[in-house]
Amino acid sequence: MAATRRLQKELNDIRQSDQKGFRDIRVDDSNILFWQGLIVPDVPPYNKGAFKIEISFPAEYPFKPPKLAFKTKIYHPNVDEKGQICLPIISPENWKPATKTDQVIQALLALIHDPEPEHPLRGDLAEEFTKDKKKFMKNAEDFTKKFSERRPSD
Amino acid sequence: MAEADSGFNYDPTKNYDDQICAQQRDIEKQITDEQSLVSNILSFDVLKTEYQDDQVFQNKIQDIKSRYKHMRKTRGDGNCFFRAFGFAYLEHLLKDDSDFPRFKEVASKSKDELVSLGFPQFTIEDFHDTFMEVIDKVGNKISYEEFFQLYTDQGISDYFVVYLRLIVSGHLQKEEDFFMNFVEGGRTVKEFCNQEVEPMHKESDHIHITALTAALGVTIRVEYMDRGDSDKCNQHDFPDGSKPDIFLLYRPGHYDILYP
Repeated sequence: MAATRRLQKELNDIRQSDQKGFRDIRVDDSNILFWQGLIVPDVPPYNKGAFKIEISFPAEYPFKPPKLAFKTKIYHPNVDEKGQICLPIISPENWKPATKTDQVIQALLALIHDPEPEHPLRGDLAEEFTKDKKKFMKNAEDFTKKFSERRPSD
Repeated sequence: MAEADSGFNYDPTKNYDDQICAQQRDIEKQITDEQSLVSNILSFDVLKTEYQDDQVFQNKIQDIKSRYKHMRKTRGDGNCFFRAFGFAYLEHLLKDDSDFPRFKEVASKSKDELVSLGFPQFTIEDFHDTFMEVIDKVGNKISYEEFFQLYTDQGISDYFVVYLRLIVSGHLQKEEDFFMNFVEGGRTVKEFCNQEVEPMHKESDHIHITALTAALGVTIRVEYMDRGDSDKCNQHDFPDGSKPDIFLLYRPGHYDILYP
């Protein structure tokens, strides 16, 4: 009950805000608890593509946090091969019911733009990021060109 | 400390996080199934049975029994202080509405204060709307049965608890200079609020109670029933020296409601 009402408002707000970093939000009318969208980073090495993500909200939302996952492969120390992300703002321990989905997405964009190699899900990439940034940037850019989605044209 | 001794062998192919989460869900479900958010009025016999073989607690229950008529239990889900506070105070207003106009004004204004402190307006409004709906119903003199039903509706009750937590967080941050002296673990007031106040199910301590009573201008007496070797419960009034509006019973890790 609470989840539906709040998510409808959040969705309208995000759609109206018309932000460049998170777009093409698709939500099936029959299930507001499941969102798909496109993350469009504007910082290298990820600004050569776009990345599909899924957000799933539990029925207990906003008392329990949403879950995020990348559906497009991304070369990033904080995203594992299955697309899972470690984002403190939505960890069950820290989740605050007053946190908006929009804030979660901003936190995600911030993490994508600024990897945190101290808390990696991919140790190999974190090491490369720390020890040989140039190589990391090159690999990440190649990877992005090869696997990511097409960026919206506007 | 060899692992074989404990019968546990770490298997790196297994996902222990999932198992821990599943176990946690089971525990949560058990608590939800067995304990109502707020119980009916109970006699102190329920406590006597709970602490059958415990003389320290038996003495203290006797002490409570000599000063209070009955009690009401709340669910042990970490929100018990807030849940108990909200129920007891609204029930108090249903019986005696002399404080209602003052309280309503404080409650209405609290939203703008939180927004000015930097909380996200949109979600604050969402919680505040429900908070005020409940308060207005109490102001419109709904029956006790209607009130009980309203407050034990999990969705509404949790919204109410979230908003009380936000009020505490707002007050702690507003009075940061004072409260920073009481935050443990080398954390800032803001960090403390993020970790111990705003998330659901985080237990309340002295500092939460001090902040909530100060922010809302409501007075509480807490009776402490613990392992201390006195025959009587210690009492503490928030704020010190006030005449209490409501009475709570504390047992280690839990708050229930008392009725004089």
